[in-house]
Amino acid sequence: MVNDVFTFLVGGKAGEGVKKAGSVAAHIFSSLGHHIFQMDDYMSLIRGGHNFSVVSTSDRWISSQYMNADLVVNFDRRSCETHANHLAKNAIMIYNSDEQESKEGIGVPLSSEAKKYPMKELMYGVGAVAILSSTIGFKKEEMNEIIKNEYPRGIENNIEFADKIYELVRNKCWNRFPLKRGNMERKIVTGNELIGMGAIAAGLNVYYSYPMTPASSILHFLAVHAQDFGLAVMQPESELAVINLAIGSAFTGAKTMVGTSGGGFALMTEGLSLAGMIEAPVLIILSQRPGPATGLPTYSEQADLLFALTAGHGDFLRIVASPGTIEEAFYLSAEMLNLVWKYQTPGILLTDKQLSECSMTVEINPSLAKWAQPKMHTKGPYRRYLNTEDGISPMLFSPSNDTIKWNSHEHDFYGITTENPEITTEMHDKRYKKYGSLVDYLKKQKTVNINPGEYPANIITYGSTYMSVLEALKYNNLNPTVIQPIFLNPLPIWELEDFKEEDNIVVEQSVSGQFTSLIKEKAGLKIKASIRQYDGRPFDPISLSNTIKEVLK
Amino acid sequence: MDDLKTNAEVTWCPGCGNFAIRTSVQNAIIALEKEGMKRDNFVMTSGIGCHAKIFDYLNLSGIYGLHGRNSSNAEGIKIANPDLKVITFSGDGNGLAEGLEHTLFAAKRNQDITMILHNNSVYALTTGQYSPLTDPGWKGPSTPKGTFEMPFNAVSLLIEAGATFVARSYSGDIKHLTETLIKAIKHKGFSFIEVLQPAVPYHKWEEYKDNIQYLDKQPDSHEEAMITAKKASKFTTGIFYQTERGLFHKGLYGDFNPIKNSLSREKRIEKIKELLKP
Repeated sequence: MVNDVFTFLVGGKAGEGVKKAGSVAAHIFSSLGHHIFQMDDYMSLIRGGHNFSVVSTSDRWISSQYMNADLVVNFDRRSCETHANHLAKNAIMIYNSDEQESKEGIGVPLSSEAKKYPMKELMYGVGAVAILSSTIGFKKEEMNEIIKNEYPRGIENNIEFADKIYELVRNKCWNRFPLKRGNMERKIVTGNELIGMGAIAAGLNVYYSYPMTPASSILHFLAVHAQDFGLAVMQPESELAVINLAIGSAFTGAKTMVGTSGGGFALMTEGLSLAGMIEAPVLIILSQRPGPATGLPTYSEQADLLFALTAGHGDFLRIVASPGTIEEAFYLSAEMLNLVWKYQTPGILLTDKQLSECSMTVEINPSLAKWAQPKMHTKGPYRRYLNTEDGISPMLFSPSNDTIKWNSHEHDFYGITTENPEITTEMHDKRYKKYGSLVDYLKKQKTVNINPGEYPANIITYGSTYMSVLEALKYNNLNPTVIQPIFLNPLPIWELEDFKEEDNIVVEQSVSGQFTSLIKEKAGLKIKASIRQYDGRPFDPISLSNTIKEVLK
Repeated sequence: MDDLKTNAEVTWCPGCGNFAIRTSVQNAIIALEKEGMKRDNFVMTSGIGCHAKIFDYLNLSGIYGLHGRNSSNAEGIKIANPDLKVITFSGDGNGLAEGLEHTLFAAKRNQDITMILHNNSVYALTTGQYSPLTDPGWKGPSTPKGTFEMPFNAVSLLIEAGATFVARSYSGDIKHLTETLIKAIKHKGFSFIEVLQPAVPYHKWEEYKDNIQYLDKQPDSHEEAMITAKKASKFTTGIFYQTERGLFHKGLYGDFNPIKNSLSREKRIEKIKELLKP
């Protein structure tokens, strides 16, 4: 076990407040001045099944959950069986003694105690919080305060129940895991919430999304905050509608974003190509889940990378970038909204379930977010598709005295349909110039995160796997250089040049090694090994650490 | 007042019903300008097909979108800036085949936009295949034995979907079409006009002329409108249904305008800082 990390895992059926218990645990740790990382594992169903929430905490920055938990609370038999192998050394396992007998662990009659209250199912989570409070030596008053705030329905019952459970485990494990108190409480947020906030900071006006895990929580977050931030947030009839609504809104100058996962993105590709042709600035959040097809709706994978890079028919610039940490999601979503407006082309922010839905303690400076501002037409007759040196035609929005035509056909400078070969060539060249202009811009920006290390091999990874890798290296005290390209198209090969001939190890979540091929073929890097996992689950830092250690030998 | 035209070369077939639609739209906009509407506020979208060429010929701003997606573009424009008057042009294939879901949902939502459906009952631009409004028996290049599908009734379909203004007009009667367009554009909510227009390589004007009828009176209720729409021949023109219902964008954000009332950067940053407090 990593000795500076404490991990709490709670498991039970959907509908028993498992995720909520995890979140409350995270708040307790954060209120003690700790960093946290929380992952919720849930199945694609509403009731029953097995859900669990795992929260790892430390007094340092932590970027992954650990599957070896120090305290495991199981609401039912299935949870006990599932997590029997997830116990760290000297772990405490709590089981529901009304559901089963067990020689190991500590039995607590959760069901029979919960039955005494009107909302039985909702009591389990409160029980888990009480068990955690007792084992970390949290005072009852502190626990009650938290329960009051976090479980506002039936406060008296909740507190009475929590007291009972707290006492039941007191003599067996009170204060078994005392946690040092830090001096600073930090905000806990998910990647999706920060994607939403980053876009708002950059000037977002409109968001469209058809519900699809793991992107739906962006829609929910923005819908709740729409009024406060003056946003139009809407759920249209399909992703085909979503992308075309977004293009319509962009036509008026509205900063517009959409969100989906692989299947929905597939439907959007027709509109993506339209955005490329009419030069509509639209930002798409593509939060990956395992495919193909429906795949594992509520789990994580990185297998839409090559699809995102080439999606949509025809030649046009697609800007693709992927945040490596939950914090980076904030700044990158703002930067991507800026870039799609700067270059008037669609952009894809590539993320996945792990980064989208996990939550962690963050420190963000919103003032550092980019602000989306297109190049505007100032004087003279307006030509929508004026051919300029950088390929970027100044914009103008209705209502206007000038006629502004965005045309899906090949078009002349005014946006009128043409099939003329010379104009066709010139327009292709004009649009393609934006690629070069974007590369010039990116060369002055941070496009790759490089953590310099000492080992004679580098680790290259991207997206949420970067967080897994950073955490994995702490275990086994490994210190290779870690390279994480933030931009995937254009791929910042100028930053990767130095690593070409070195031994590089790729870590990714795709069976065919999509990122490995990209790095090999586009950046010409020598790849020593490619570590892949594609079971829908994020890497566990300990097993990943051991694999990296093996490969580094 | 000829400035609603562009310099683009017109490539509709001589005698095409689309000419009269363009003329009527020009007439309607000029008439509405006299009533105080601003030219600059008009925005158009179109799909793909013969109908859509109107985008190049009308000197209005807008989006020449993809096949069937024009009403989504129109909805997106309206939601982002509700001050704009949005007219979306569609063909019968464009709006009732590939774009059917978008057409119906725009009506369901009562988006405050106007849809003009050019009904030539054929896929003209792609050389004469059957459309969602083609009568059974049509022998096109994809159906040499003749079609055996029943056509939609666009008028009753749109009433059922939730459109709050539903009319049929005829490109052979510019006066009727212009007047109907003016009413449709002035209507608050989703207005839908099916316009009968021959695509001359496939249908002759004579097929229409002798059969055109006019509604005696506009139905008073939803029920009566449905009955009338279903009973009337497909050549019956007039306003079948008009009612009032809440507008989508008003329901979404009331008397707000996401573009005009967009929050400043400073306000946004301040509010986000607040959200990020532990």
